[in-house]
Amino acid sequence: MSSATVPLGTRSLTRRRPPASVRRQRFLVAVANHALLIAAAIAFLAPFGFIVLTALMTNDQALSSHLWPHPFRWQNFADVFHQAPILRWTLNTMIYSVLATLGLVISSVPVAYALARLHWRGRNAAFLIVLIALMLPPQVTVVPLYVMWTKLGQAIGFHFVGSLWPLIIPNWLGDAFSIFLLRQFFLTIPDEYLDAARVDGCGELRILTTVVARLAKPAIAAVALFSFLYTFNDFFLPLLYTGENPSRWPLQVGLAQFRSLHQVQWNLTMAATLLVMAPVIALFFLAQRAFIEGVTLTGVKG
Amino acid sequence: MRRVTGSLLAALVLGAVLAAAITMGSAHAGARSAKKTTLTVWVGWSARELRVFKGVVADYQKKHPELNIKVVGSINDTKITNAIRSGNAPDVVSSFTSSMVGVYCGTGAWINLQPYLSKDHVSLNQFPKTTLYYTQFKGKRCALPLLADSYGLYYNKTLFAKAGISSPPKTFSELTADAKKLTQRSGNKIKVIGYDPYWNFYSGNFTDMTNYAPLFGAQYYDSKGKAVLASRYAWSKLLRWQKSLIDYYGYSNVVRFQAGLGDEFSASNAFEIGKIAMMMDGEWRVAFIKAEHPTLNYGTAPMPVDDAHKSWYGAGAVNGTIIGIPKGGHNVDQAWELVRWLTTNDHALAKFSNGIRNVPSTRSSGHSKELKPDPRFATFVRIFNNPHSATAPITGAGSAWNTLVGRFTVKWQAGKVKSLHKGLVTLDKQIDKLNAQQGGGGVP
Amino acid sequence: MSQGAVAQAARLPATARRRARRKAAWRRRGLVLLLMSPWLAGFSIFFGYPLVMSGYLSLTHYDLLSAPQWRGFANYHYLFHDDPQFWPGVRNTLWFIGIAIPLQVAFAFGIALMLARAKLGLGFFRTIFYLPALAPPVAATLGFVYLLNPATGPVNIILGHLGIHGPLWFQSPGWAKPSLTLLQIWGVGNAMVIFLAAVLDVPQHLYESAELDGAGPLRRLRWVTLPTISPVILFSVVLGVIQGLQYFTQAYVAANIAAGQASQAGDTVNNLGYPQDSTLFYPVLLYQAAFVNNFMGYACALAMVLLVVAFAVTSVILWNSRRWVHYTGSAR
Repeated sequence: MSSATVPLGTRSLTRRRPPASVRRQRFLVAVANHALLIAAAIAFLAPFGFIVLTALMTNDQALSSHLWPHPFRWQNFADVFHQAPILRWTLNTMIYSVLATLGLVISSVPVAYALARLHWRGRNAAFLIVLIALMLPPQVTVVPLYVMWTKLGQAIGFHFVGSLWPLIIPNWLGDAFSIFLLRQFFLTIPDEYLDAARVDGCGELRILTTVVARLAKPAIAAVALFSFLYTFNDFFLPLLYTGENPSRWPLQVGLAQFRSLHQVQWNLTMAATLLVMAPVIALFFLAQRAFIEGVTLTGVKG
Repeated sequence: MRRVTGSLLAALVLGAVLAAAITMGSAHAGARSAKKTTLTVWVGWSARELRVFKGVVADYQKKHPELNIKVVGSINDTKITNAIRSGNAPDVVSSFTSSMVGVYCGTGAWINLQPYLSKDHVSLNQFPKTTLYYTQFKGKRCALPLLADSYGLYYNKTLFAKAGISSPPKTFSELTADAKKLTQRSGNKIKVIGYDPYWNFYSGNFTDMTNYAPLFGAQYYDSKGKAVLASRYAWSKLLRWQKSLIDYYGYSNVVRFQAGLGDEFSASNAFEIGKIAMMMDGEWRVAFIKAEHPTLNYGTAPMPVDDAHKSWYGAGAVNGTIIGIPKGGHNVDQAWELVRWLTTNDHALAKFSNGIRNVPSTRSSGHSKELKPDPRFATFVRIFNNPHSATAPITGAGSAWNTLVGRFTVKWQAGKVKSLHKGLVTLDKQIDKLNAQQGGGGVP
Repeated sequence: MSQGAVAQAARLPATARRRARRKAAWRRRGLVLLLMSPWLAGFSIFFGYPLVMSGYLSLTHYDLLSAPQWRGFANYHYLFHDDPQFWPGVRNTLWFIGIAIPLQVAFAFGIALMLARAKLGLGFFRTIFYLPALAPPVAATLGFVYLLNPATGPVNIILGHLGIHGPLWFQSPGWAKPSLTLLQIWGVGNAMVIFLAAVLDVPQHLYESAELDGAGPLRRLRWVTLPTISPVILFSVVLGVIQGLQYFTQAYVAANIAAGQASQAGDTVNNLGYPQDSTLFYPVLLYQAAFVNNFMGYACALAMVLLVVAFAVTSVILWNSRRWVHYTGSAR
């Protein structure tokens, strides 16, 4: 924000230089602030550092009180791939994330649009229900849903429990958080755009797919990004539904089980932990702006 | 418009392809090849022990070329229950938790084997009495024992010699005295511990105290199925002994010591690398030591017993692996043939016992010529057959009551319980209420 | 409805016009139905139906292996009177919501304030503070349990070099929840970014007029910054509470790994809540009841109680917020 928001009707003010004592005080405050920031930054980065160091140790060293690996065992990362089916876990995670995100975007956009830009009688009540669904812990519905998937599987003869489908399918029928976010965003689209399209003879559906979808690209990108992240990190529901079928474990479930499969080897466990963290961090650096914008969007519009 | 529909179509096609890929993948996994019948067997073993099991199964496979037997390891009870619930169950399943038989038999999750036993004239007399107890619930027999476990004392002979101890302790007071002599410390930090009685440490010290109960003659339930930990004096004796030893080391010193130890089933097992002088463990440890630290100078003996009952020396805790057929399976007859062979065939049991050093679970296989003698392993066979050895009671609530006992014992050893008697009275009430609420009263 | 159709309709006689309008209204309702259909279906199947089923199952004894057995309110009676783990579960979750969440919000706000004042390297520092929030919860928890290993973890080793006798962290019932709180604070990146944007958005002229009135930096914080960003604070708190009521992953992983360190006994043991129920949060308790002990009916009773509490707590916060949240007229 510029330092000269001059109200109308006054002559332009020139700011005089603050006296030396004030300048010195401000300088000291800035130095203190930076010192604190640097200390905090070190504290925040330290865990990463130690995890990396441990990932490069031998197993016995990891159990000892040495902090620095001696020698550097780079092949731990290769060993992780031999000890556990990391690639299969990654494939499962990708299947879950991609299919869920796809369904989520396709199903949430129309709902958000109907809640934002169409006027109908139950609109506010429906939005309230979406908000309530947002606040509900998943544990409230998890038992009957598990029963439902089990019974459905027995009836049809397809094993839903033990597959990724109970995780993917609900996303194709709308997701409360995405609906909420998109609706907030749609509210900010000026009426003029939509009216212009209507005058040109566009039906509502066409407006949605052409004008609105294009205008809402940043919001849709943010929603897709969040959904991808959420499904990548998801643990509780995947544990429940794929827990007994190791061939369908996503990365997080596999990582949590990594120790019991292969008798805690902390060096390999830390190496595996790093491998699981890496894709997300890489994605962040590639799409930094979309990340920060998306997060800000949720907070400011929320 | 065209661009949007275009990219949308592309995304949908990608999604459909992925979806097809997975569905086909999982459907293929369940398909049976036209000629052979596939039998899936789930077991709890992993790594080396799993390989031994697969070797035993291979012998059966050779005799039955029409079958294709698939063995899956690292199974636990949660996976078993979930699989049976979702209709995804294998043909044969086995569990390390014999106490779960209350749930498996009580709910019909594992099918009743009695018709098959009668049809094939399988005599139950060949199984030792304790194994018969933990493979049935309220008269329904849904499991058979597949090798058994007994718990005894492992002691490091080198450390014994250094401390001037000539023979393993026979009573708990001897155990305590020896443990104190064998412990090496530098300041507060424990370097070598004589005997670690910490509840939840390794496999010897289950928090529900089932491994120590026979050594004190302690009973969990009376004949009516009510919990009696408060009224049976043996429990207080056991708990007070345990806490006094923990307090000798210092509770947080023990916790710190344990946090830096290697995993129980790895080559850095604390006993195997000499950080623990005496340890209660199951008979399988003999095979692990042979594979990982063959030069370790150690001995085995029965666990010491309560000073007041010296004649009980030689007894120990006993349980075992159970094997059964889950409901909803397709190839029950072939599954039963495999189960019968695994549990009654002398060659199978002897070969398996040699490989993973578990106790043979039938009388005849216990005398089989194929068994490789091992004096340190023979201790455990004797413990298994000792008349005072006992196993944990089974209820229809599965292992939930064990969790309740465990909650109490870990609090007790941390010094959080003010009055032991009052605490046990409360614990008894909790157990009774749990059994009443969740089905199946306690079985003595 | 398109302008063309309306214009056409205006030229028709009255009855035809009314018919046209009704037709347009029906078409609009059809459109709304079409657009809302995914959510309507999803809501009924994955929200409405399970809620009703949960209520029904909470009155039965059900293990999914045999049919549900009617028990009336016995589950609720056991829950409130006899379950020795119920009140610890409630207390733990309340502890988390009452202590960990406010600390989390405070740290996010504090770091955002420092960043807002930083002259150099704003982007660089922001990235550093945001990175841990990207770590998947399972991975982050595994890392922290190892780091805070009382015997061989780097933290206690460094503390030892500094002459401080490090606590038992995840192995001590008194330190387990603070250790989890540290993990939460490590991951405040998301909230921090939102606070940063909000703090940077506070109009400068408000600060200037406050300064002119003689307000020092603390006063300016209290009377300018906080009220202006109060909607964001509310958002963070509500989000934090919702998170707290669902807190499962970190507690589950930490309990199993830390117990594994102590017991090393493989996974035939139920380690949830290790040590001594201190990490037994309400969602963990529910999971244990349903999927470890197979008491599905009882778990539904736990779920119903959670529903009521979640509803009550969020309503209370939202109502309370009217007093201290100032919306500056942004589009709702």
